[in-house]
Amino acid sequence: MICTWRVGGVLAVCAIGLVACSKAPSTGVDDKLSTVGEFEVTAELAEIRGEFVNKPMYDYAFVMKYKVLAVHRGTIDGECIYIGHYNPLKPRSSVADARVPEVGGDLDRFRVGDVHRMALDVPIDDCYMGGIINRYFGEDTGPVYWAVWTNRASRP
Amino acid sequence: MFTRNLYAVLLVTIFAAVPSFAQENAGTAALAAEVHAKGWIVYGARSDGGGWDLFLTRPDGSSRQAITHTPEYEEAAPRFSPDGTRLLYRRLAGGTRIDHDKWGFQGELVVAEGDGSNPRVLGGEGEFPWASWSPDGTQVVCLTKKGIQVVDLDTKQVVREFPRQGIYQQLFWSPDGKWFCGVANHLGESWTVVRLSAETGAMNPVRSFQNCTPDWCPDSKTLIFSSRPGDQGGYGYTQLWMAEGDGSNQRLVYGEDGAHVYGGATSPDGAYLLFTKGPKDGSGAEGSGAPMGIMRAADAPIITGESAALRALHPDTKDGAVLLLDMGWEPHWTYAEVGKDEG
Repeated sequence: MICTWRVGGVLAVCAIGLVACSKAPSTGVDDKLSTVGEFEVTAELAEIRGEFVNKPMYDYAFVMKYKVLAVHRGTIDGECIYIGHYNPLKPRSSVADARVPEVGGDLDRFRVGDVHRMALDVPIDDCYMGGIINRYFGEDTGPVYWAVWTNRASRP
Repeated sequence: MFTRNLYAVLLVTIFAAVPSFAQENAGTAALAAEVHAKGWIVYGARSDGGGWDLFLTRPDGSSRQAITHTPEYEEAAPRFSPDGTRLLYRRLAGGTRIDHDKWGFQGELVVAEGDGSNPRVLGGEGEFPWASWSPDGTQVVCLTKKGIQVVDLDTKQVVREFPRQGIYQQLFWSPDGKWFCGVANHLGESWTVVRLSAETGAMNPVRSFQNCTPDWCPDSKTLIFSSRPGDQGGYGYTQLWMAEGDGSNQRLVYGEDGAHVYGGATSPDGAYLLFTKGPKDGSGAEGSGAPMGIMRAADAPIITGESAALRALHPDTKDGAVLLLDMGWEPHWTYAEVGKDEG
């Protein structure tokens, strides 16, 4: 009986731990997100075209394709938008630097299929002055947005 | 028998090498004598205290002298005004790590006399980003997110503003005032050296893919810049290149497998080329710089070291002298007499 209780207790603790560790990103809203950028969306990362460039000495923005799931602020037309993220191999929490002091968020890594809630500005050239890797250049993408703040989020 | 043969081979090798070594020394000594009295080079370097200060040296490496003595600041990226009488540079808080690609955003802009005296801070932290001289020295041109700004130095007012068209760092105005050069995102390719007409705003690529630190030659037609061509396999090494402003006649100027060459600039008459050459990518800004080098423009292209792969790509190089100087970063050359000779 005692053994059963102990097993049950351990299982309960594990379950609580699992729930805590796999904390659902939920809405992705935090104190900062709604205060920066002109636009705010929840969107699914639809494509990372090619590999990120792994040259830590060099900064760059990498343009990725998103499927828009919800627009929370501003007006965005079209199902897909293209967004430039600064130094995408770095966690958003530590990506800000002298060139781009205002970017951030809680996203650790970019994976196709994940959902992000983002504060955006447009066009990217008005917000960011640095190398841009845009593998969609020459395609009809519309304006390229600039990701100011990027949080993990659940599908709305 | 084998040992005797080995000695023979060694002796032959040594005797074969000695004349070459002696010739090389004679060549660099001749180059040093040739450039000795040709003005001064200013550069950033680590001082004895470990921080970055500005130094002057004769182009042969003699009469080296610190012109800032500020342990509370890190001085970086000095450039002489076109007449050589003044300097502009960036001054960062002590202990700040200079970033080889962000230095134009870092610290405050300072204008001083050519010998470093009378420094005047022009703005706050990060203001006047990537400032460089106008041809007449009365203005600076700056690169901001919103565009290119021409700023009058006396009033600090923006007197002209126009789109930057993807240029994102290292903006320089041609001596004849007709052009700008810079590093840009252009036609889907980052790290493209571009030329922008100051009159019409028309832009053209000079060289695409992994290029940076462009600077004008005195004729306002030719550019000197660093390039890491993709034909090397793997990461590759950064070489010094030149091209005409319209992108034609792209050519290797100096390279060495195992070394990254940055900070290319010419002497005021274009007869000599100045650069830094270090083993690590990034020009050594984050460390202690890299040895500075001087060569005759007429000797280009030069390849030094074994550089078998690079020599295979460029079989028609010359054997000119390369004079190596102290460790430094972003050197610049004037023929004005701004320093004091030692002794």
